[in-house]
Amino acid sequence: MTDRPVRNGGLPDLKEIIVPNDLAAAKTPERLILEEAEASGYSENAVFAVKLALEEAMTNAFRHGNQRDPAKHITIRYRVNRERIEIEVIDEGPGFEPDSVPDPTKPEYIDRPHGRGIMLMRAYLDSVEYSKQGNAVRLVIINKPP
Amino acid sequence: MNAQTPSRTGRGPHDAPFSISVERLPDAAVVRLCGSCTMEVASAVGERLVAQITPTTRLLVVEASKLDFLESTGLGGMVAGYLRIRRNRGDLRLVKPQPAIMALLEMTRLTQLFRVCDSVEEALRLPIL
Repeated sequence: MTDRPVRNGGLPDLKEIIVPNDLAAAKTPERLILEEAEASGYSENAVFAVKLALEEAMTNAFRHGNQRDPAKHITIRYRVNRERIEIEVIDEGPGFEPDSVPDPTKPEYIDRPHGRGIMLMRAYLDSVEYSKQGNAVRLVIINKPP
Repeated sequence: MNAQTPSRTGRGPHDAPFSISVERLPDAAVVRLCGSCTMEVASAVGERLVAQITPTTRLLVVEASKLDFLESTGLGGMVAGYLRIRRNRGDLRLVKPQPAIMALLEMTRLTQLFRVCDSVEEALRLPIL
């Protein structure tokens, strides 16, 4: 695992962590981001939202992007300040078309065991954007006054 | 262990230990979920729920009052349990989910599938429709 600040697309001070394609290993960047969020004054609800979205993004990277391949990696880039939290989760898969995932709240899909992760990220965060290739997702939450 | 090394369980300081316990009754199973159902343990939910269902099981009761976190794999596990118990013309009922979990269920509209009850006794008593 590596941990280093990077410059990316004009956003200074992004930190980058690369972990093996393993959900237990992916808990480390989650913990670091949540600790920074709490230290920066985010509410309990906001921390819950970030935790949920991170878990959904990393599960998708592990399972769908990297196809559970232990030789692959998940890259997490993030920046936390008092105004917002920005996170990128990048896998080594071929990508996908997020608009092709059906709305899991529609009656015809409500009893499917899978397919709720993207919907939950979008419901809890201020912005969820996929890269053109579809193997990277950028998550943003704005710190709102109570 | 330094600050960058995952613990053996992968559990972070924001996660309460996750546990599943089961009480078997003649035609029902009460499954208690406690702690934080995070991504690295969530697949156990569906596996354990489905494993409780025998040909005579009609009710699957998920007691969730001590469950403080649940992500989509855990939600999907509950749906898998629901689908399996419906084959027995039975029902899955959820007992006292915490507000954050209830919000997840409402947002995903899974409250259309799972009846939410105030107690295990109520969940076991109500007729199956």
